[in-house]
Amino acid sequence: MSQPALETVDLHAGYGDVRVLNGVSLTVGRGEIVALIGANGVGKTTLLRTVSGLVRAKGGTISLFGERIEALPPHDVTAAGFVQSPEGKQLFLNMLIEENLLVGAHNRRAYERRKQTLEEVYELFPILAERRTKLAGTLSGGQQQMLAVGRALMARPRALALDEPSLGLAPIMVDRLFEGIRKIRQLDIPIFIIEQNVFQVLNMADRGYVLEQGRVTLTGTGKELLENQHLKSTYLGL
Amino acid sequence: MDPLILSFAVVNGLLIGGIYGGVALGLSLIFGVLRVVNFAHGSLLMLALYAAYWLQIWAGIDPYYSIIVTVPLLFGIGFMIQSVIIAPLIRRESALVVEPLSALLLTAGVYLVIDNLALMAFGPNVRSATTSFALPPVMLGQIPVNMPRLIGFGAAIVVAVGLAWWLKTTRMGRAIRAVASNRDAAALSGINVPLVYAVTFGIGASILGLFGSLLATFVPITPQVGLNFGIRSFIVVVLGGIGSLPGSIVGGLVIGVFEAIASQFVPATSAAILSLGLFVLILLVRPSGLMGKA
Ligand SMILES: Nc1ncnc2c1ncn2[C@@H]1O[C@H](COP(=O)(O)OP(=O)(O)OP(=O)(O)O)[C@@H](O)[C@H]1O
Ligand SMILES: [Mg+2]
Repeated sequence: MSQPALETVDLHAGYGDVRVLNGVSLTVGRGEIVALIGANGVGKTTLLRTVSGLVRAKGGTISLFGERIEALPPHDVTAAGFVQSPEGKQLFLNMLIEENLLVGAHNRRAYERRKQTLEEVYELFPILAERRTKLAGTLSGGQQQMLAVGRALMARPRALALDEPSLGLAPIMVDRLFEGIRKIRQLDIPIFIIEQNVFQVLNMADRGYVLEQGRVTLTGTGKELLENQHLKSTYLGL
Repeated sequence: MDPLILSFAVVNGLLIGGIYGGVALGLSLIFGVLRVVNFAHGSLLMLALYAAYWLQIWAGIDPYYSIIVTVPLLFGIGFMIQSVIIAPLIRRESALVVEPLSALLLTAGVYLVIDNLALMAFGPNVRSATTSFALPPVMLGQIPVNMPRLIGFGAAIVVAVGLAWWLKTTRMGRAIRAVASNRDAAALSGINVPLVYAVTFGIGASILGLFGSLLATFVPITPQVGLNFGIRSFIVVVLGGIGSLPGSIVGGLVIGVFEAIASQFVPATSAAILSLGLFVLILLVRPSGLMGKA
């Protein structure tokens, strides 16, 4: 029972001959919020795509609550309980907001409880309930991000990953979104979050990892990392 | 021009056009979801026509009853074509969609293989099935309406409406639309994308199974009959708006009526060429097709 929610060990992955991840080892514990920091193009999204099975791992292992998942296809990874809200939202723009959410509940475990989960998501993001019969494409950027997070929640994740949820949002929307993320933590869902808003995310996170040149180069609690000199100068510009 | 003859031509054009639209539905669905132009579309209709024909010859099954065999048979064939032949290509692609050209070449190969195998197996003879149902024409005022064609027309409307409704309201239908909209996001949402692709291809082909049975009594069955229908379907789908099911029917009606009227004034072959002209003209004005979204 003590296995972490998510654990990668010596994970290697890339595209064709291009190697992006060169042995990434990290863990997300139960009930934790863990942040992943890294420069543009370092491979943060690739890491999530590899965990989700969209990119095949070339080496190393991925475990979800102790079960190995690195060989599973994406839909089975989602069914197993690792769900991500992908970079750039990737909504079904020509479908209704409620349909986007229902698609999120496609796996059998989630589908049986979709009505209840839908209520929970609407409670978390009331704006989605208000506009449930509108096309997803009619939402503002911040609302679309809430829909992307809501769709991921519809799958009833046992571990949730968010890839740059605040990208392109106005500051007020960022605050509202982070508020939503804190509430998700209270649902006892561990969260693995990639963010450019380094200061804000490390304030919220229990722990963080810094990814550089395909490897984890720095790790610690949110507070420790905020005080780290290298992190300060490289990612906070202080 | 005698108005009675003209209205007869229009009615016939509507019936044939509706059938074109129905035959094209699967092509539109498959392109809308997989972004693959299935060059073998007409060949699958040809197989269905032969299936209906041979079921009658060997087992004495009336073409109208053979639906219960041809529909699942073509579903299976479509499912297999996708999962055995096209899926490996899609798996190799790292981009969001398949390179249209490579998929087109692949399905063109499938078309060549199927049509030539059919020629080897069945020979070049023209065949036709007969039904034991008495299907006298019904009178629309003074115009006689051919019953087998009316049935085909009705089936096209029913299938188009039924399919659109199914896509809109069911879990599988929603999954298919999600895959069409964003394949990676659909996979991340827990949808088995390769399965959805195969099912979609199967559904598209199974519609041809239906029309194979319904057309077997009045379309001359030859190994080459598919190409003609395939090219028509392509025109109908592009004209109506690629991926739009109502567009497929509307496109079929436009082509059917246009050709029927034109062939009152010029020989039928010239009418077909004129309809290509109409096709180009409409696309110049509306590049996304009649019912397509811009
Ligand atoms: N589909 C792909 N094919 C080939 N190379 C890719 C592909 N996707 C990403 N890459 C490359 O892999 C590297 C890592 O990209 P990735 O998107 O994982 O970075 P990231 O850390 O998420 O960056 P960002 O902060 O900009 O989101 C980059 O050099 C990128 O150019
Ligand atoms: Mg990224």
